[in-house]
Amino acid sequence: MSVGSAVVLHEVKKAFPLRGGPDLEVLDLQHLALPAGSCTVLRGRSGSGKTTLLNIIAGVSLPTSGTIRVVETDPFSLSEARRDRFRAEQVGYVFQTFNLLSALSAVENVMLAMMFADAVPRRLQRPRASELLARLGLSERLAHKPAQLSRGEQQRVAIARALANSPPLILADEPCASLDASTASEVLAIFLAVCRQDEKTLLLVSHDEAVLGVADRVIDMAEFNRTEARKGLRMTAAVSR
Amino acid sequence: MTILTVALKYLRGRLVASTLTAVSITLGVSLVVASVLLARGIKEGFIAGATDYNLVVGAKSSPTQLVLSVVFRMDLATPNIQYTTYRDLQQDPRVETAVPIGIGDAYRGFRYVATNSAYFAVFPWRRKTFALAAGRFFADDPPSDPTYEALLGAEAAGSTGLQIGDRFYEGEEMAEYPLTVVGILRPTRSADDRAIFLSLSSYWGMNEVARGMAVKPLTAVLIRPKRVSDLPSLHRALNVGPETQAVLPSGVLLTIFNMMAVAEDVLKMLLVIVGIIVLLYVFVSMYSATMERRREIATMRALGARRATVLGIVLAESAALATVGGIGGIIGGHAVAYLAGSRLGSNGLVTNPFLVDVFEPAVLAGIILLGTLAGLLPAVLAYRTEVAENLVPLS
Repeated sequence: MSVGSAVVLHEVKKAFPLRGGPDLEVLDLQHLALPAGSCTVLRGRSGSGKTTLLNIIAGVSLPTSGTIRVVETDPFSLSEARRDRFRAEQVGYVFQTFNLLSALSAVENVMLAMMFADAVPRRLQRPRASELLARLGLSERLAHKPAQLSRGEQQRVAIARALANSPPLILADEPCASLDASTASEVLAIFLAVCRQDEKTLLLVSHDEAVLGVADRVIDMAEFNRTEARKGLRMTAAVSR
Repeated sequence: MTILTVALKYLRGRLVASTLTAVSITLGVSLVVASVLLARGIKEGFIAGATDYNLVVGAKSSPTQLVLSVVFRMDLATPNIQYTTYRDLQQDPRVETAVPIGIGDAYRGFRYVATNSAYFAVFPWRRKTFALAAGRFFADDPPSDPTYEALLGAEAAGSTGLQIGDRFYEGEEMAEYPLTVVGILRPTRSADDRAIFLSLSSYWGMNEVARGMAVKPLTAVLIRPKRVSDLPSLHRALNVGPETQAVLPSGVLLTIFNMMAVAEDVLKMLLVIVGIIVLLYVFVSMYSATMERRREIATMRALGARRATVLGIVLAESAALATVGGIGGIIGGHAVAYLAGSRLGSNGLVTNPFLVDVFEPAVLAGIILLGTLAGLLPAVLAYRTEVAENLVPLS
């Protein structure tokens, strides 16, 4: 195992069972190590296994085979309840479509993440959530419900929520894909700055050239995912025939 | 943030649906509580009205009719007995108290009840007490010189608007014998609230036939024996004669309760159906809410929420709905029972609908339990929500 790596995956495969046919393999990785504090970008076409890889690292999707260590822990060796707690404390997740809870205000959405981790004492949860939102430029929007926020503001709330428990690892699945170009670059700049400042290990899916430019490493799933590579070879062979 | 906070936020988030569900629970529980309170109140009202005296003596007829007409004024009066029957019973060494009753016509629907001061006397064994709101009791006048004084029950006074000193009669033929209001009773929550009391002399004086009779008529005599052991012999003696019957009100109550039992069974079935409908409503409400928010549940799970936590949120939500609906239903049920009781109370039925005992906490606990159970299947669906499947980006 690599010393100082926040995430290490080795010979990880993921296949989905299909009714009445062979399993559908979507992921086959030889080795992946994300150094602590690094920023890694995944890119690839739709269906290339990017989200599946994030879900496996987050511990919400079980790999078919392989070994995984996230922050020195094999999440799949833990009971489900302990894995949930581990995820709440060690992994922050930013979704493409924000996934804020519509019934909760901005500050409550951030506090919600703290409720699952017990990393922040209850009396400090609201001040911490308010502070995080202020850091992301939302100090005037604390009591607003998601429907009262712009899309850029919603994504900033989602970023604050991912940072709520100070997890060492942040996963982001195309965090700016739902935003217009100018909002996307603004949100992304804040997101990357906060993660750099707090020395988070960041793994994000993105096709944004600006992000690719600042990343420590860019992984192209077409080559890195052996399943995708095999598909590519088959397609090339078919075209040449 | 706690599970309960999130559950309450969710309820507020879908305010219209939550309110409608809580209102449906409130209505269902109100119906159940009001029905139970009224059924209980009616029984207690019957018992309270009928158990001060051990025997009701009247003319041979239906025992139930005798008790209903004399005690509750709910049926036609039975034929008359002779005043001498009362005199004989008054002299009987086995009798502690004998009260003569003459049921007459009515003034604007409020029945004339002729009696003497014994009817209003305070006895240690007596549950009911009479108190004056205004004026005085009517005079125990001699038959030769009736005073035509009237004492009004609280509702009779309220409804007719009669005041102390007012003179009244119903029908031109009675214009010659108007009654004068001398007193008004405080409410007793019994059939006496709808009665217009007068002396026996006035009662006989108002009736043309009775005026000419040498032996005056009575409708009934209420009896309290000195010893309960005297009751069988009194009962037997009064039933042997060709003209009188003695009725044990408690026996008539059993007959009435047996008749009520059939209605109660039907009511119970209806209440069970209402309960099932309310439970289904809660279930459908929680089910649709859970299905709508599978993505949010998956998000919570991705953020680290345990399965038990999302299960707890849905259960807390349905329990909160049931609690609000249950409390509303208990209050509503008491309000309905009060409104219905105020209509029935003056007929001698329904005791205090504000009495709260072990029934209300038991109902509330039952509603919360059933409401939570109704949320169980949706909660299990939330528990089993697959995270990765439900986090697929929406396009």
